[in-house]
Amino acid sequence: MSRLPPLEELVNLFEVEEVARQRLAPELFESIAAGAGAGLTLGRNREAFDRITLRPRVLVDVRAMDLGTQLLGRKLETPILVAPTSRQTLLHPEGELATLRGAAAAKATVVLSSRPGIPLERIAAQARGAFWCQLEPETGAGEFRQLVRRATDAGAQALCLSAGWRGEKPAPPVDWTLVARVREWTPAPLWIKGILAPGEARTAVEKGAQGIIVSNYGGRLVDGAMAAIEALPAVVEAVGRHVPVLIDSGFRRGTDVLKALALGANGVMLGRPPLWGLAAYGAEGVQKVLELIQTELALAMGLCGKPNLAAIDRSLVKIHKR
Amino acid sequence: MPAPFSRRAALRRLGAFAASSPLYQLGGQQRPPGLRERVPALEEIESVLEFEPVARARISRTAYDYVAGGVDGEFTLRRNRQAFEWAELVPRALAPAAAPDLSAEIFGQKLPCPILVAPTAAHSQVHPEGEKATHQGAAAAGVLMAVSSNSSYPIQEVAAAAKGPVWFQLYARDTPEGTRDRVERALAAGCQAVLLTVDTQYMSHRERMLHDRHLNIPAAGVPVRTRSRRQAGAPPAPYRLQPQNPDLSWKTVEAIRAYTNVPFLLKGILTAEDARLAVEHGVSGVVVSNHGGRYLDYAPSTLEALPEIVQAVGGRIPVLIDGGFRRGSDVFKALALGARAVLVGRPPLWGLGAFGPEGVRRVLEVLQAELAMAMAATGCATIAAIDRSAVLVDFA
Ligand SMILES: Cc1cc2nc3c(=O)[nH]c(=O)nc-3n(C[C@H](O)[C@H](O)[C@H](O)COP(=O)(O)O)c2cc1C
Repeated sequence: MSRLPPLEELVNLFEVEEVARQRLAPELFESIAAGAGAGLTLGRNREAFDRITLRPRVLVDVRAMDLGTQLLGRKLETPILVAPTSRQTLLHPEGELATLRGAAAAKATVVLSSRPGIPLERIAAQARGAFWCQLEPETGAGEFRQLVRRATDAGAQALCLSAGWRGEKPAPPVDWTLVARVREWTPAPLWIKGILAPGEARTAVEKGAQGIIVSNYGGRLVDGAMAAIEALPAVVEAVGRHVPVLIDSGFRRGTDVLKALALGANGVMLGRPPLWGLAAYGAEGVQKVLELIQTELALAMGLCGKPNLAAIDRSLVKIHKR
Repeated sequence: MPAPFSRRAALRRLGAFAASSPLYQLGGQQRPPGLRERVPALEEIESVLEFEPVARARISRTAYDYVAGGVDGEFTLRRNRQAFEWAELVPRALAPAAAPDLSAEIFGQKLPCPILVAPTAAHSQVHPEGEKATHQGAAAAGVLMAVSSNSSYPIQEVAAAAKGPVWFQLYARDTPEGTRDRVERALAAGCQAVLLTVDTQYMSHRERMLHDRHLNIPAAGVPVRTRSRRQAGAPPAPYRLQPQNPDLSWKTVEAIRAYTNVPFLLKGILTAEDARLAVEHGVSGVVVSNHGGRYLDYAPSTLEALPEIVQAVGGRIPVLIDGGFRRGSDVFKALALGARAVLVGRPPLWGLGAFGPEGVRRVLEVLQAELAMAMAATGCATIAAIDRSAVLVDFA
């Protein structure tokens, strides 16, 4: 095995990926990297960012940089969260515990998978930072209610229902009667993840979702789906200004995050990058990944004349045909 | 009878071949000649891009990476070059211009051509005589040089090193008095215009340089000053940023303009909105620039940004441009899209690193000769005759 470079030598997320590639057994690394089918959507998620350029404004005082934001009444230090990914103990013995510790050190919220490597209650008992819990579409009301209750009792600040997702296999359709009852069972707001079509975003909101997460699950579910960032503008437009929208799938650079914010997202989630950090370095790797991209975002904002998120709008980006 | 074979002609063909390879055109990734390859002599070089590998072979790795590098993944660095492929010249076969006149005029100043040396820092990293040598080479080619605030030699020494005209690139200092002092020194040294650089609020991530640092490669020559504004004892900037000029605002612009009695330009404008504000604030000109792809990655290529800025300015002040210009035809395209003049950053540094002042001169002469050829082919007898109809544009 090649030497493990000291964390301070790593200058971007792709380099953390490279270290993870060298450290992990090939099947394990591939299990993180893989996309569905021929990897078309996997590729598009990245390529789409090359068709969006930034329009920087100058001569704006940007001494006081502030990446803070509010999501459904909760203050976030930065608009970057950790996306739900399952069984993190496969990558590192401390699994989710390390992820939460690293994220807390970087002041980032983690969305815990519905299939963690460590029981939810044990994670919650040791968690110092904020976390949300993911739910999968269930058929039985009893089961669903039970999951909501467990997450709420554990202290989840929000719930995230992954539509279309059941451990990487196509799931049953979302049972809207259950969604409608979630508010009876918990004060935690409910996000619905996995939306690409504006019509579906509208439906989800009508049926009781308080927030929408635009996602193609990192290209792992349906090959040939559009890039998440390409789907974003229409979803934002469909749900209107009062419904918050998050996005994930393919975010690796601070400028990627900035583009999503300019196109109307309220925040961005990272799936694979924290796993690379976790696999190679444990909690400190997760922290490093988050801090690298937070710094890149702050830098890009400063160079664009945007000292805070409120200053970012659609005029900051230009979308190109190629 | 076939033309007699000459070594010169063979080399020229080889050069043309290399220059036409896509990697070569994008620049910035030049391999130095290998152990068994010979480094070409100055008179064998026919195009600007050929200087880069020679310079690379002759300067330190850190100096090369410092010059070549862009920010982050270098999207904007590549895009600056790519954009030229989306603009094509429209030749006039029936009415070529026989001996085009390249002379230009800006702020009442007559120039032999609309090509200028862009301000770049720390030339002693590539040549011991630094900016003094660059000025000598530029002056020999009749080209105006803009001298960086971060030059390796004081502005008065650079200005005095040759007879050619100089402008001064200004980085605002920590205090208004410090900034004013810097401008006054430049004016006293005879600088005929001042360009305030406005796109360096925070130090960017030059990944090549970060790697060099981690590899502990010693830097040659004068170290690059990173001008952190952090006062001793002050808390670090949030998000691990390294402040440079985060406080610059239109108020700063007004204050500097008020005491600067030569043309005063803003360098680093990329939007119509800011170009309009620049006109409203009474500046004399703008330079469309993304700092050679070194600050904000995913900034647009300057050629793509040029049309909206030219339109917003509406002829009220001159619009200059830099970023990726390596061919006379590149210069021609920008002039056709409404630029008054073009600045070149890295090419003179390649010339300087490869062959000293003579290299700088040659780089600038090659560009002029190529511009003349583009003008001849498109039937433009003068710079003023180059207009929008001379190019076909299909930007992405
Ligand atoms: C090595 C290097 C140093 C630079 N230093 C400065 C500087 O001190 N001040 C400044 O305004 N621009 C600086 N620039 C940016 C140039 O003025 C110019 O905008 C850019 O190099 C043009 O792109 P080109 O190199 O592709 O021609 C620097 C660029 C390079 C390559």
